[in-house]
Parts: sequence; structure tokens; C-alpha cells
Amino acid sequence: MAPAIELENLRKTFRVTERAHGLAGSLRALFVRRTREVVAVDDLSFAIAPGERVAFVGPNGAGKSTTLKILSGILQPTAGRVRVLGLEPGRERTRLAYRIGAVFGQRSQLWSHLPAADTFDLLARIYELEPAEYRRRRDDLVASFEIAQVVEKPVRQLSLGERMRCELVASLLHRPEILFLDEPTIGLDVVAKATIRDLLRERGRLDGCTILLTSHDTGDMESVCERVLVIHHGRLLLDRSLATLRRGFIAKKRVSVVTEEVELRVDLPGVRRLPSASHRTELEVDLDVIGVDRVVAAIVAGARVLDLSVEDPPMEEIVSAIYAGAARSVSRA
Amino acid sequence: MTADRFVRSTRKYGAIALVSARRALAERSVLAGRALFLGVIVFIFSRVWETVLGQGPQAIPGAGKRELIWYLAVTEWCLLSVPHLFLAIEADVRSGDIACRLVRPVSYLGTQIAEALGETGLRLLVLGPTGAAVAFWMAGGFPEDPRGLLLALPLGALASVLAVLSTAAIGLSAFWIVDTSPVYWIWQKLVFVLGGLLLPLELYPDWLRTLARCSPFPAMLWGPGRMAFGFAPEAALVTLLELLAWGVGIGVGLAWLSRSARARLTVSGG
Repeated sequence: MAPAIELENLRKTFRVTERAHGLAGSLRALFVRRTREVVAVDDLSFAIAPGERVAFVGPNGAGKSTTLKILSGILQPTAGRVRVLGLEPGRERTRLAYRIGAVFGQRSQLWSHLPAADTFDLLARIYELEPAEYRRRRDDLVASFEIAQVVEKPVRQLSLGERMRCELVASLLHRPEILFLDEPTIGLDVVAKATIRDLLRERGRLDGCTILLTSHDTGDMESVCERVLVIHHGRLLLDRSLATLRRGFIAKKRVSVVTEEVELRVDLPGVRRLPSASHRTELEVDLDVIGVDRVVAAIVAGARVLDLSVEDPPMEEIVSAIYAGAARSVSRA
Repeated sequence: MTADRFVRSTRKYGAIALVSARRALAERSVLAGRALFLGVIVFIFSRVWETVLGQGPQAIPGAGKRELIWYLAVTEWCLLSVPHLFLAIEADVRSGDIACRLVRPVSYLGTQIAEALGETGLRLLVLGPTGAAVAFWMAGGFPEDPRGLLLALPLGALASVLAVLSTAAIGLSAFWIVDTSPVYWIWQKLVFVLGGLLLPLELYPDWLRTLARCSPFPAMLWGPGRMAFGFAPEAALVTLLELLAWGVGIGVGLAWLSRSARARLTVSGG
């Protein structure tokens, strides 16, 4: 079966203007313009099969969003070969647009002054959907995403979580074969994040669409995806199944505890105390040595707990660990 | 473009224009502000014309104080009906929101223009009667030959379309200069002066009138405005042809600008 997405030696560079500091620099910039080439994506190659749910992760400035924008035809690549559903996105943007959906977490594709229902109707016209089929699909998605109560409100009056559910419905109305998700849970609270992740996993399964998701939140990739691509400085650092990545790199959890006691002592194997403040203790738990449940039980037994949270390590740390691992393998080779 | 594709595109952009008109209708305070501004402008300049002309001779053959007030109402109606499309495009380029618009199977520029035209259509419908009412009140009636005003209606609507296309081109300049307000400021002043917003070109010195006629601005304002001076089908036809010719010219320029802008596209935040 032909891949849904195929990149070969993709490269994207931008020219950015450099301005010298101070008044003299500003005056000089009026006559002499200095530019510098920035490499956003460098020799990137991978393929994604139809129906795969893939996380595309990396730290800020790694080139994730740029790659997504090249894949959806928004940006033109500087070099390399890109095929999405057999089309060349840069040249065939409009044809491709009928077959893909995209959600950019920090931006809205809904008309903010209109109720989401009106945007759905307008998108049905834009995507040239057959009216009866559109109504069936819309009703199904509205029920599935539980937004019946909010679709008639102007979008600007919705909470971020409600808006994001409407954004996802808008991107799924035309049954896209590929869904590009750029930070779909950014800014959402824990409950809203969990809801969005469940919905994405469910829709991916029901519609069979390919999902390519970028996120800084390891929870997104763990909940939604089955494969992970890690990118750093525009280059592919790692391409693994989620299970492999979890075994190798997400073997730690962070526990934050607020107690009535000024200091909390936890002497358990596999638990390391991180820099903490008075009444607030940060712990790193090595899951290969001890389970989080045992650590939490020990904390609750030994102190009066006011607040407690368990989190994955930040993406930057995971990428750093992967980067260090990759560097070691290169040096061994 | 095949006929089928043309019909499909028209439906899409028509739907976008309708939604935009509905939004503009919902923003009643903005609409009321524009109507009030039009009324005030026509009122003030009607007083100016009264003072300047008094009971004296006609400034332009066939056009007295009454016709000049209606001229002003028509030119202001054309100009005030045009939304600030350049600001919307500039905001999309600055914020990177343009990325969201480009994933749809429609042209970004086409969508922006359709939205602006929807809003323009609604403003023309609201500001037309407002300007007419104030002009009727200030002038003490219709022009001597009111049939010319019927010709001013389609010409004014077309002139507004030309102005929308011009502001779209100004908006696209954001890809090069980011802040488009200086370009808009220059364009606006040229429209005021060379278009004959307040004074008909007949009152200009010959050299300035000749210079103005080489630009698209008189077709936008003076052409529809002078229909207030009387029923002149030949002059209306000339204005119509000028509007169409400049429309094609600006359209070709927009297509070129749009292609160049796509090549320069970088999106804020990645």
C-alpha cells in the first residue's frame, strides 16, 4: 500500500533579517540589509502508512510546525521530495485541501463572531459536501464531541476546551484522510486535555484517518499515537513505536507534593528528590524500580498532604535524553 | 476555467460574502457609526458649499449648490462603504493566522475579497438611504434632473468593488513591509485629491485634472458622483468602461502580488 505521507530529504530554509543593536545599527540597517539563512528542516525523511497515528515531537524550534505546514501545502520546501496522498502539496494545495484536515491549537479556523454551527454550514459549502450527507456527518460529530449545547453560541464566547472541540469537528466534517494536529491540547486544563485525547483516539479508530500530531505534551502522544518521530534541529532523531519509546525514555514520572510539614522525607529506592521549596517537594520516580502507587502511598502515610500531582517529564528532558542516547550511539559507531 | 468550476467557485465565495454581510449586520454599532459619520460629513460640507456659493452663479455649468451636495453624498457613499480589508490581511500575515486559511480548498485572497464585498454590499444598502436622506434635507430636494442618481447607483457599487480590490493589494504589501498603514495613508490621500471626493474635477486646474484622469481614482468617485449633475448616459458609459478596465488591471496586479506573496510566505511561530 502506498504511504499516506512520504518525505525524502526534505529541507526548508528561511532568510531572516539581522539588525544591529543601538541607534547606529538602526541607521546602518536603512542602507545595508544583513540577512542570515536559518535551517528549519534539514534532510528529513520518513513515511507514514494510511491509518497510522503518529506523534511528531521535539523541543521549540525543532521544525515540527514547519514540516506540518509543508505537508499541508502552506509552505514550499526548499529542497527534497514530498508526497501526501500521492499529491505534491506545494503545487496541488487546493486538491489536497479536500482530502486533509488541520487543527492549529494556537489559532482558530472558526469565524469568531459566528456560532460554530454557521461555520460548519459554510465549510460544507467550501468543501462542496452533499447537503444530506453533510447533515448526517455534522450531527454524528456534534453528538460524538458533545457540543450540541454550544454550537449556537458565538465562538468568541466559548471556553478554550469547547472551542477546541468545535475546531476538531470543523476539521473532520469533510472526512479527511489525513488529520494534521499542531498542539491540539495547548492551554487546556487536565480534564479538557483528557477529553480531547479520548475523542481523537476514537475518531481515528472510527474514521480510519491518518493522524500526524505535534505536541510538547507527552500525554498527547501516549494517549493518541502508536508511533513517535522525534525531531531536533530540523533532523529526525528517532523513529520508534510508542511502546519502545516508553520502555526506553519515559521510564520516569514526576511527583509534586504540597504538605503541611515544611519538609517531606521519602526514603524509597528509585525515588530521587529534585530541587524543592519549603512545604513543596518535587520527586522523580524511576518506574523500573518502583511504581508510582507505592510512592504515593508512602507519602500519604507519612505526611499531611494538601496537594499532589503526578506528571510525565517535560518533552525537553525526553528529547535531551534521546539526543544524548543518539550522540552516544554515533560516537560508539 | 470550466463553466462548472466557475459556478462552484461562485457558490463558495457567494456563501462567504453572505456570511460576512450577516456578521456586518450583527455589528450594529459599527454600522451606525459609519452612517452617523456620513451624515455629519454631508451636513458639514453642505454648509461649506452654501457659504462658498451663496446665491451666486453656478460653480460648474449645470450644477448648483443642490447638485454639489448630492455629488458629495454619492462620493462619500462610495468611499465609506469600503471596509478596511488591508488591516484584516495585515493582521493575518503578522499573527500567522494565514496558515489556518490556507488549508481550505479556496483561495486566501478570494476569501478575503469575498468577505470584504459582503460587508461592502451591506454598507452600500445602509449608507445609501442615509446619505440620500441627509442630502435631500440639506439640499432641499433632489437634483434638478434626478434620473442621473439612478445611474450613480450601479456605478457607485462598482466603484466600491474597485476600491476593495485596491485595498486588497495594499493588504498584500504586508508580506514585504509588515505595516501597511503608510501605503493605505498615501492611497487614501490620492483618492481624496485625484478622485475628487469633495470637489468635482471640473473645478480643478487643467494640469491636475489631466493628471487625475490618468489614474483609477476619478472612476471611483468623480465618475459616479457627477451623475448628480444630470442624466448623462454617455458619461456613465465612459465611467463604466473605466471601472471595468481598471478592475481588470488591478485584478491582474493582485494575481501577480498574490503569487509573489506566497513565495515569500513564512508563518509566525513555525
